[in-house]
Amino acid sequence: MQSIINLLTRAVFMSTPLILGALGEVIAERTGMMMCAVEGIFLSGAWGGFVGAYLSGNMFVGFLSAMLCGMLVALLYGFCTVYLGQHQIVMGTAVAILMTGFCTFFYRIVFGTPTSPLKVNPLPVLRIPVLSKIPVIGQVIFSQNIISYLTYLLVPCVFYLLYKTALGLTIRSCGENPEAVEVAGINVRRIRFLAVGAAGILGGIAGAYYSLCNVGMYNSEIISGRGWIAFGICFLGNWNPVGALLFGIIFGISDAIGIYIKALGVSGIPSELFSALPYFLVIVLTAMKKQFNVPAKLGVNYIKED
Amino acid sequence: MNNRRSVLSLLGWTALAFVLGMVVCFSFLPLMGVNAWEAFKTMFGGVFADTFTMGNILVKMTPLILTGLAFAFTFKANLYNIGAQGQFYVGCICAAATSLSLADRLPAPLVIALACLTSMLGGAVIGFIIGFLKAKFNANEFLVSMMSTYVIIYIMQLLLRTVLQESKHEYIKTDKLPKSVWLPKIISGTSVSLGIVFSIAAAIIVWIILYKTTFGFRIRVTGMNMEAARLSGINTKVEFMAAFAISGAIAGLAGFAEVNGMQHMLLTGLDSDVGSYGIGIAIMADANPIGVIFSAMLFGILQVGGTVLSHSTDAPASIIDLMLGFVMLFVLISFFFRRKTELARLKKKKAGEE
Repeated sequence: MQSIINLLTRAVFMSTPLILGALGEVIAERTGMMMCAVEGIFLSGAWGGFVGAYLSGNMFVGFLSAMLCGMLVALLYGFCTVYLGQHQIVMGTAVAILMTGFCTFFYRIVFGTPTSPLKVNPLPVLRIPVLSKIPVIGQVIFSQNIISYLTYLLVPCVFYLLYKTALGLTIRSCGENPEAVEVAGINVRRIRFLAVGAAGILGGIAGAYYSLCNVGMYNSEIISGRGWIAFGICFLGNWNPVGALLFGIIFGISDAIGIYIKALGVSGIPSELFSALPYFLVIVLTAMKKQFNVPAKLGVNYIKED
Repeated sequence: MNNRRSVLSLLGWTALAFVLGMVVCFSFLPLMGVNAWEAFKTMFGGVFADTFTMGNILVKMTPLILTGLAFAFTFKANLYNIGAQGQFYVGCICAAATSLSLADRLPAPLVIALACLTSMLGGAVIGFIIGFLKAKFNANEFLVSMMSTYVIIYIMQLLLRTVLQESKHEYIKTDKLPKSVWLPKIISGTSVSLGIVFSIAAAIIVWIILYKTTFGFRIRVTGMNMEAARLSGINTKVEFMAAFAISGAIAGLAGFAEVNGMQHMLLTGLDSDVGSYGIGIAIMADANPIGVIFSAMLFGILQVGGTVLSHSTDAPASIIDLMLGFVMLFVLISFFFRRKTELARLKKKKAGEE
């Protein structure tokens, strides 16, 4: 029983950055921007978070710097796609390559070549006073770090923003019928650009989660496709914050099972198969999914007539 | 006439973007205590200093041309095969497994031919599965191909740790391939193998398929306007599967060229960037198969130059990705300005006619 609780706790822990990244994706993709730079954004967040936290010795500064890095990368991507009309998927690849080089290069500039890996203390667990005493749920849900709580609070907020506010309607309309939005006197490009920036902020925190909450260190393999999984979660969750939450938890569980099995060292089943599980799951779920609610103009740049 | 002008403008803008990308990248070098101008001279002096290093450009180009072609081929059908890396690894696994298991039993040329065939077949199967999921279940090929790479990486690691592992069972890699099944070297004093010939031949064949056959025409029509293609009687689902299978086969061939031609063994993390570089290469060439050869050469020069730089100065090896990233970024931005000037020229021409 205790091992199942541990597994679930780990699952919630691992699902946090995926949900966070996917929420950013939902906001951006609803405006019609296919956020293919997500992997680069995650990486820059992991890097920026670590550098900020290590140099200042303060976790809060670390997360601020991660948000800034994520946002800057996202805005670079947004500028080239929204304003210069470049291909969104291709631009995402360029950003990924650039950030791989950039983060490794500047890690070296900031820290030189340290003899032992640099570490910060991972973000501590924050037990909610009364609630964490509830059996099972207390440990699984109410004994996480502050970022997890904020992420779970953010899900209804994003839902409210998208479906209950005028801004949400504008955001969704930009992805469905940008011409109509433009006719209503709203600047489609600006909305898209800002949405990409917002996704960058969330993606930056998500990236920093891996370096600051999970291991307390940075290396260039720290993200290894997690950004793409967040991209996939947004997709599978039907561009809906609640869907993102649901699939985020599913992937958190599959991520946790992999780590758990590896730690137990169960013989018979090779651990590689469990590591491959989340990625395989995306393929299977994508193929199984029948109903898609794709924003009509997803991935299509809006070109203003002049 | 018009065609020549557009090629010239493409080359001009790309050259400008290349220079800008390099300037930005090198301007970071003083932070490392490296003189940027000296580094620049070291890099280009080093690359063209001797035949061995120049040969390395061709060596680096060999898989890059193929992964670039793999992306370009599906791109023409308006599909996105982001998983060339995975198909490349499947090609590597097939080539290594075939070569190692049959080297003692069959004549060497036959083994090489079989390794080539199986690697292409392996890549094609993966590509076909992606195309099939797209055609049958309308699965997003972008996502599926991206994820397939990660699945394949873990499967490769599993195979390298178990059935394919070297006989000493120390490292996560295969035994060295017997010399008889290596692709012959074609330029003495370098590591350039026959693989580069395969790559360039593949580029020419892909060009012929795309522009000189009805099959290629159908692929391109599907890419330009799927609805129109379907109405004119093209079975777009078949085209999806065929385009992906061919794309996968090309990426698989890269695995063969790398394993039998260059590395002579398979190890984890081999060329872990060829897939994403291939996308960049295809885009810089505007998905033109012949152009892919030249943009792969540019990537090859930068990779070899970056290696020279990291060996002879304090600059780290990550300078390679930084250079490639900035050059790609500026090339993409240059596309915008090229298009803008082209449009302005057309408008002016039209105004003059009226």
